[in-house]
Order: sequence, then C-alpha cells, then structure tokens
Amino acid sequence: MNRLIHAEIFRLRTTGMGWLFAAATVVSTVVMFAVNAVNANSLLKPFDQFVALETHGHGRRMSADFLTRLHNDWQLGHSAVTQATALYTSGQLIGVLLACLLGIVLITGEYHHQTATTTFLQTPRRTRVVAGKLGAAVVMAGLSWLVSTVLSVVAGAIFLHHEGYGSQLGHWGVLRAILLNLAAYAIWAVFGVGFGALIRSQLGATVAATVLYLVGASAAGTVFDLIHTYLINKDWVLTLQVIVPEVASTVMISPTKTFDQSPAEWVGAVVLIAYGIIAGLTGTWILRRRDIA
Amino acid sequence: MDDGRIVVSGLTKRYRAVTAVDDLSFTVEPGRVTGFLGPNGAGKTTTLRMLLNLVMPTAGAATVGGRRYVDLREPDRVVGAVLEASSAHKGRTGRNHLRACCIVAGLPMARAEQVLDLVGLTPAADRKFKGYSLGMRQRLGIAAAMLGDPRVLILDEPANGLDPEGIRWMREFLRGLAAEGRTVLVSSHLLSEMQALADDVVIIAAGRLARQGAVADVLASMAGDTQIQVGTPDPQTLASALRAIGATVRPAGPDTLLVTGTSAAVVGDTALAAGVAVHHLSADQPDLEDVFLTLTTERAAIR
Repeated sequence: MNRLIHAEIFRLRTTGMGWLFAAATVVSTVVMFAVNAVNANSLLKPFDQFVALETHGHGRRMSADFLTRLHNDWQLGHSAVTQATALYTSGQLIGVLLACLLGIVLITGEYHHQTATTTFLQTPRRTRVVAGKLGAAVVMAGLSWLVSTVLSVVAGAIFLHHEGYGSQLGHWGVLRAILLNLAAYAIWAVFGVGFGALIRSQLGATVAATVLYLVGASAAGTVFDLIHTYLINKDWVLTLQVIVPEVASTVMISPTKTFDQSPAEWVGAVVLIAYGIIAGLTGTWILRRRDIA
Repeated sequence: MDDGRIVVSGLTKRYRAVTAVDDLSFTVEPGRVTGFLGPNGAGKTTTLRMLLNLVMPTAGAATVGGRRYVDLREPDRVVGAVLEASSAHKGRTGRNHLRACCIVAGLPMARAEQVLDLVGLTPAADRKFKGYSLGMRQRLGIAAAMLGDPRVLILDEPANGLDPEGIRWMREFLRGLAAEGRTVLVSSHLLSEMQALADDVVIIAAGRLARQGAVADVLASMAGDTQIQVGTPDPQTLASALRAIGATVRPAGPDTLLVTGTSAAVVGDTALAAGVAVHHLSADQPDLEDVFLTLTTERAAIR
C-alpha cells in the first residue's frame, strides 16, 4: 500500500501537478489571510469604532435594525479567540476545495490522460488503487494544511500581537480548531476521490465540485431560511443546514457558533466524515465494476 | 500450473444488444509466439482486456498459469502487457513513467534504465511522452511491460505505427522472448506479419473462434483448396483422366485447366499415365491471408 501512495505522489510530482497545488495553496492562504486580517482588525475594535469602520463613518444614518445586526456580528466576532481561530485557519476556505479538487484529479486523471490501463494492469485489485489514491490525497492534503497553517500562524501571531492581543495559541479551542482543520482537509480530499470516481469526466467533476462548494452554503442557507419562514417555523430546520458539506466543515472547526442555530462541532465532524465515507465507498464500488476500454 | 500457459474458456462479453465476444475458448502455449487474428471489430481487444481484468466478462474465465489475472500477487512479474500506444501521461518523461511503474511494482529504479536500454529508448528517456513518435510510444509500452521480467507477454496490435525497421526489431524481439520459453500472444490484423512471426494462430471472427492451431497445420487444413493450374495441348483427354480419379476440373483458357481436390504431383502422374504432354504445372498454395479471409467471411455470413 505504501508503494501505491508513494507512486501516486511521485506521479503528481513528475507532471508539475504537485507544484501547481503547492502554489495554489500558498496564494489562497495569503489572500484569505489578508481578508481575515481586515475583518479581525475591525471586529476586535470597540463597537463604536467597528460601526465606523463598517459604515465608513456613516453609522448615525443607519437604521436601528441594521445596527442591531451589526451588533450581533460584532458580538459573535469580538473575541481574540474567535479571530485567532479565523486567522490561523485562513487557508481552509480555498484549501479544502483544493484538497477536494486534488482528490478528483487523482482519479479522473486516469481517464483524462488515458493512464487507467497502465494503472489497473499494474494493480488489478482496484480497491487497492483507490486506497492508494485516498492515501496520497490525504498525505497531500496534510502537507497543504501544514504549509497553510505555518504561514497563517506565523502571520496571525504577529498580527494579533500588533493588535495588542496574545497569540491565543495556549487556548485549547484555538488549537483544537487548527487540528480539526487538518481533519477537514483530509476528509475533503477523501470526498474528492469518491466524487471523481462518481463523475468520470475531469472537467465535469472539477466544475461540479467547485460550484457546489462555492454556492452550496449560501444556496442551502437561502433554502433552509425559506423553509423556516414559510413551512416549518422551528429552529431545528436552520440547524439542519449542517447537512451541507461546506457548512459542516465550517461548523466543525469553529470554536464559537457559526450561525445562531448551529449545532456542536462534533455534529459537523460526523456529517463531513459520513460524506467522505459514502463518497469513498460509492466511488470504489463503481470503479470496481467499470470496464476500462 | 505455474507455467505461463494462457487458458481462455467460454469467455463472453455482451454490451446490451451486441455480443462482442461469444463463448470463446482457446489456449496459448509457452515458448511459442501465438498470433491472435481477426478483422477489425472481431473482439480481439475486448478478449485481451478481459484476460487482463480490465473488462469484466459476462461469462467465462481466462487464466494465466492457472490463475485469474486479478488473483496474481505480483502481476508485473507474471504478465507484461502492451495494450495501447498512449497509456502514459503526456506531460511525464519516459524515464519517470517507468520509474513510477517501478515504485508500484516494488522494483529498483535501476530497472527503468535497463528496460530503456533493452528497447533502445535511452536517448529519448528524458523527453516528455507527448513528444514521442508512435514507434517510440510502442517501445516505451514494451519497456514498461518488461519491467518485471514477466513469463508472459501480451501485445495488442504492436506493429501499428511502426516503420519497417521497427517491425523487424519487434519481430526479432518477440521471437527471442519465445525462444527463452516465454509465452507471447500478439494480436494483429497484419496477416503477412503474423505468417513471418507466429508459430501458432488463433483466428476469431464476429467474437467466435474460427480456427486455432500451428500456422503450418492451419494452412495444411486448408490444402484441400489448393488450386493447380496445368497447361496442356490436349485439355480434353487430361480433364477426363483427372475427373476419373475424383478431381474437380474446369477450363481456364484455351489450353489451361484449373484443378482442385488433389495435389500437383497427382496431376503430373495422371498426365503421364494418360500420355498427355504437360507444358506448365503450378500449385497455388493458400497463404494465411486466404485462410483468414475464407474463415472470417464464412463466419460473417453465418452471422
């Protein structure tokens, strides 16, 4: 099995795919860190300064309703622990998508580049091929998490120090978020491999996964809001948003509530792991029966 | 059972309404080159892919040395297969392609250099696959197949895209492997090439076995159809003498007869006994191509 994982990583390295993945990880981490730093900078200010920053100095002209909403946001975010978590896991938003795409490419690339014949000739037991790809995807996702986390933690600690707070790294909630973030990367990578086996076309699978990831959370938010408003006016309807994979991974790593009705972190973890397992098993099952022509 | 013999028994593959391979059975012996012949669409590639667990058979089984391909613990060391000329990543160099294969097979990286040398591809080893000619791709495929020094070689249309020099190289290479006692199964539609290369042939048409055996035997089995052309100034006397011994005779020009159902020697002897002069006598031996066309046309007609 180690040989198969090693070979997959060797293959990624020798086509430039590995470097592309590394570059995308670094760039996305830097960009998302900048966005989070700007957010943290305003949220960590006292409320009046926060309002001034958010409204560009026009706070007095805003409606009471809008100010209430701003106050809610501020209350949720005005904590060094929350901001430290957000900063230290800056890579996540794009990073888990990249891990997912890498998983997809690992498996759809076999068809896209017509290497499936060679691969399955060398390893006729296809479950082992999928296992090797899962292993490689998790290893690469882990490396991506490591690079992203090192960058974010170093830059984040400097930023927090500059804002007058400590690094917050002694806080268990922050450490747990960083570690759970690793789990998120790994699970998304597994999910990608399964998704790639499900949708054989490389272009189709990458586009579908990206769209689902990027609009999935907001689309789900809207749908669940509508259900909540017009059909079932119960809080658990909103809590149910956690069944959307992207919502689940956010819930999993947040030490504080992601939204008012968000369930506990472990619920997010369970949902995400379930998706990873279902995608992985379905993908393997399909691949075992598919003719390679 | 670990002898490298390939046994195909009752292999069938159906795709919805189409039966690509239909209850096909044959064996391939070690130490010989076996040609796997059939017109395009006869089911050659599907059969080879079923043998190698790439395509799942609807019924039947195929084994190599008594085991199904999927059950081979180290397939690289038992079977080397070259199925298509484009099965490496276009952006990877030939050397790295082989190295990746070495990692999977648990072979030392040095083995990649050895097989590159074996197929004469060392000078192009660091070029990317997309820059390879079809002939170079075939050689890389053979190099990959030879990594584990397998006892059995399976090649699907290896002569495709090769120039005459490449074809000669391939022929000598495969003959050499068979001489070492390995099993070599080569599919092709190039019949003349098979006559020069193969010891045995398996001929299929429309997914079914048409004929199997040593090239010489398959040709001999068709010898009844040998056509003898005989030129004589007295065709009528000779024709009656030949018909008297059971041969089929028909005129083919003013002083020429076409005789089937006997041999050239018998025609000569009969002419002598009848006191008829013979000016010209020739036998038209069927070659593999005639046999092939006859068999596959019959089969297609049945369908």
